[in-house]
Amino acid sequence: MEAIKATFFQECEELLADLENGLLALQDGTPGEDTVNAVFRAVHSIKGGAGAFGFEALVRFSHVFETLMDDVRSAKIAQTPPLMSALLRAADILADLVEAARSGGEGEDPRTHEMAAELEQLIAGKGAVAPVAVAAPVPTESNDPDFGFQPLAAMVFEDAPPPPAETVWSITFSPRTSLYANANEPALLLRELGRLGAMTVSLDDSALPDLESLDVDGSWLTWRISLTTDRDEAAIRDVFEFVDGDCDLTLSAGTEDAEPAFDVSALLAAIQSEPVVVSAPDPEPEPAPVVAPPVVSAVAPPAAPAQPSTPAAPPADRGDTHGFAPQATIRVDPERIDRLIDLVGELVINQAMLAQRVSECGLPPSSAVSVGLDDLEQLTREIQESVMAIRAQPVKSVFQRMPRLVRETATMTGKQVRLTTDGENTEVDKTVIERLADPITHMIRNAIDHGLEMPEARVAAGKPAEGHVRLAALHRGGRIVIEVSDDGAGINRKRVLAIAMQKELVSPDAQLTDEEIDNLIFLPGFSTADKVSDVSGRGVGMDVVRRSIQALGGRISITSRPGEGSTFTLSLPLTLAVLDGMVVDVAGHTLVVPLTAIVESLRPRPEDVRRLGPTGMVLAVRDDHVPLIDIGCVLGFRTTPPAPHERVVLLIETEDGARAALVADAIQGQRQVVIKSLEANYRQVPGIAAATILGDGRVALILDVDAVVSMRRRDAGRPLDPTLIAAE
Amino acid sequence: MTDLVAQTSHDQIELVSFRIGEQEFCVDIMAVREIRGWAPATPLPQTPPYMRGVINLRGAVLPILDLAVRLELPATEPSARSVIIVIAADNRLVGLLVDAVSDILSVSRAAIQPTPDVACDRVRSFVRGLMSIDGRMISQIAVDRILPDVEAIAA
Repeated sequence: MEAIKATFFQECEELLADLENGLLALQDGTPGEDTVNAVFRAVHSIKGGAGAFGFEALVRFSHVFETLMDDVRSAKIAQTPPLMSALLRAADILADLVEAARSGGEGEDPRTHEMAAELEQLIAGKGAVAPVAVAAPVPTESNDPDFGFQPLAAMVFEDAPPPPAETVWSITFSPRTSLYANANEPALLLRELGRLGAMTVSLDDSALPDLESLDVDGSWLTWRISLTTDRDEAAIRDVFEFVDGDCDLTLSAGTEDAEPAFDVSALLAAIQSEPVVVSAPDPEPEPAPVVAPPVVSAVAPPAAPAQPSTPAAPPADRGDTHGFAPQATIRVDPERIDRLIDLVGELVINQAMLAQRVSECGLPPSSAVSVGLDDLEQLTREIQESVMAIRAQPVKSVFQRMPRLVRETATMTGKQVRLTTDGENTEVDKTVIERLADPITHMIRNAIDHGLEMPEARVAAGKPAEGHVRLAALHRGGRIVIEVSDDGAGINRKRVLAIAMQKELVSPDAQLTDEEIDNLIFLPGFSTADKVSDVSGRGVGMDVVRRSIQALGGRISITSRPGEGSTFTLSLPLTLAVLDGMVVDVAGHTLVVPLTAIVESLRPRPEDVRRLGPTGMVLAVRDDHVPLIDIGCVLGFRTTPPAPHERVVLLIETEDGARAALVADAIQGQRQVVIKSLEANYRQVPGIAAATILGDGRVALILDVDAVVSMRRRDAGRPLDPTLIAAE
Repeated sequence: MTDLVAQTSHDQIELVSFRIGEQEFCVDIMAVREIRGWAPATPLPQTPPYMRGVINLRGAVLPILDLAVRLELPATEPSARSVIIVIAADNRLVGLLVDAVSDILSVSRAAIQPTPDVACDRVRSFVRGLMSIDGRMISQIAVDRILPDVEAIAA
């Protein structure tokens, strides 16, 4: 049961995402019945699943929501901006309720009631339906590992005495095999139908063959339902919406008060043509095993819309051509993938160890063993790449959370904000995705709270009242780049500088470039907000973001144009699991320098090395002079640097664009290494980004190039420098 | 082994005893994950002197702590007989470098005496208690206290 519940909540997450995307698409004026339908189905499915699990608050709220969406769908309510805003807020509340249900509470609070009341008001005027009694508990046959056929006498619902002007409908419902194969459950449909009014159900099992000739995967049963309701035909059809094409359904108005304009023959024609055509290319090669329908019956409502909602989704996925085609996917426990990745990592190490041993034996490269090893290496690398690809996910999952954040932040700050996103399908390793959410949240909040001006100020500045925040993801040079830009006022450099001086973060006589001033906001303890707001501005803002990003091997920077806005640029490695590195020797130690930082490696000529001051050394590279840094000295492996021209120099570029020349004793070669955390069992070590395991099974340290450069600067006792402090 | 554990009542505690120089110490067996031979460790820069470096423990990076230095004794000279006791505490794995493992002891909790007030406060805080076995004095190490501090980053 818990497993099924977990599935339900997974489905809910997807449905909520569909819901929000759909609503946003509608808000942007994307027309289309499909989108409205997708939204409706999402709410409906959540309600269905919630009913099966007895999450009453969720059912109550989603019912009101669904009723309103139904009216929107049938165009009884016009799609106005206030309505869209109400729907979006309702979607947020629905998400909260789902979360509350997942964590075991009911989660109803005054907000829920207010929202429900607001939705009711929107429905009002057209005889809104009172919140429906909560769904009955899941029928007990769910646990029965047998046919899901239940005694149908129990399915008679007589809770509503028929008011006048009701119609009696005769409904014949014959599920096809595909209905069961798609894990739908007739009992749930009938129960849903029962909510529309009093009904009697009878089972027609005349088609059921003898037991010995019974095809257990077949569908043999038909239900005849007599339903008395004041709802119209569309309401009845809605109940069967998800099994459209998976069943034969006939519907006819009964004796009392048949609506005069009702054309039964046309309706019947429609019924016959519609489901048959749709169901013909049933993609299921074979029906599900017989035990499947009862076992999964409890999740049938949420499971069902997975297919119908697919074609409706593209409007929400504006401009993206791939990623939304119906794809066969499987859900895998992430721990299993992590385990697999660890194992492959060890396989790579073992393969390298083996290769090293073999080469030590002095076998010729053409020997069978060496050739076999080469193949093995090739295979190992391919396995590693494939395994890493499993974990690659589009950043969409993170981006999807942002519209809500923007709405809430906008409400809190009283600003009008429009969010656009780009490159949602950019893929990046799962380990990176998980760490992206916090920095992005922070940057967006910052953009709205500090970046955008109040609507009046914007209008006064000749900009539209509605501010624009853009969130984009792209691949650039083997890294993922996330940009958060706003069209606000830009950084007030005078004020930033004044505050930094007042807080003694820079010396009063410091001469800083615009870029350096902009980057002062990353200093610890820096906050320009006049007051501490709920949104941002506790002074733990950007420096924390910067530090957490640097811990991931990432970089963050800001560019700003006064009056035009600011752009935060965040770049991270595509994966946190492997790294291309240069393996070097330093003072008898083996170190790995990340290849991304290296511009070139060279052997300096003696005349290019020049002294600067008492201890400083610079290297002339073409027309530039870059500081020479002996890695061994910075890390404390040795105290006196040997002459640089007898060694190799790695010309590197730090995240802030500064260049430096790192001196190593020798280069062993270039290698892809598996990153192993030092923090897992120890802690961060200054100058060291992580560790890895080399071919000989020994641990080698991966150099944190930026930290090494700034450590050297600190050692040199230079005046306080913003990039230095922030990099710590 | 199972029988042994079953017979061990709550009053009994099992300890792995080991030697550092002349002195004998022990740790709770429940904290010990494995005992392995000495392998050269990769030194870490800018770390306290008791940090010997890191080794590869089947794909994980295991920090090695020279328990002798931690207890302010002369540093261990690793030899073929030196061993690394891998202990788990605080969701972390740490290897303790010691001269030799001597025994597995089963003692009653009541037999553990408080640490007398002789050593300096820091070393005293590393020792949970003392016991006397066959006339030898064995100090029980407080595993959670000897771990390197996570927060403080050596400058």
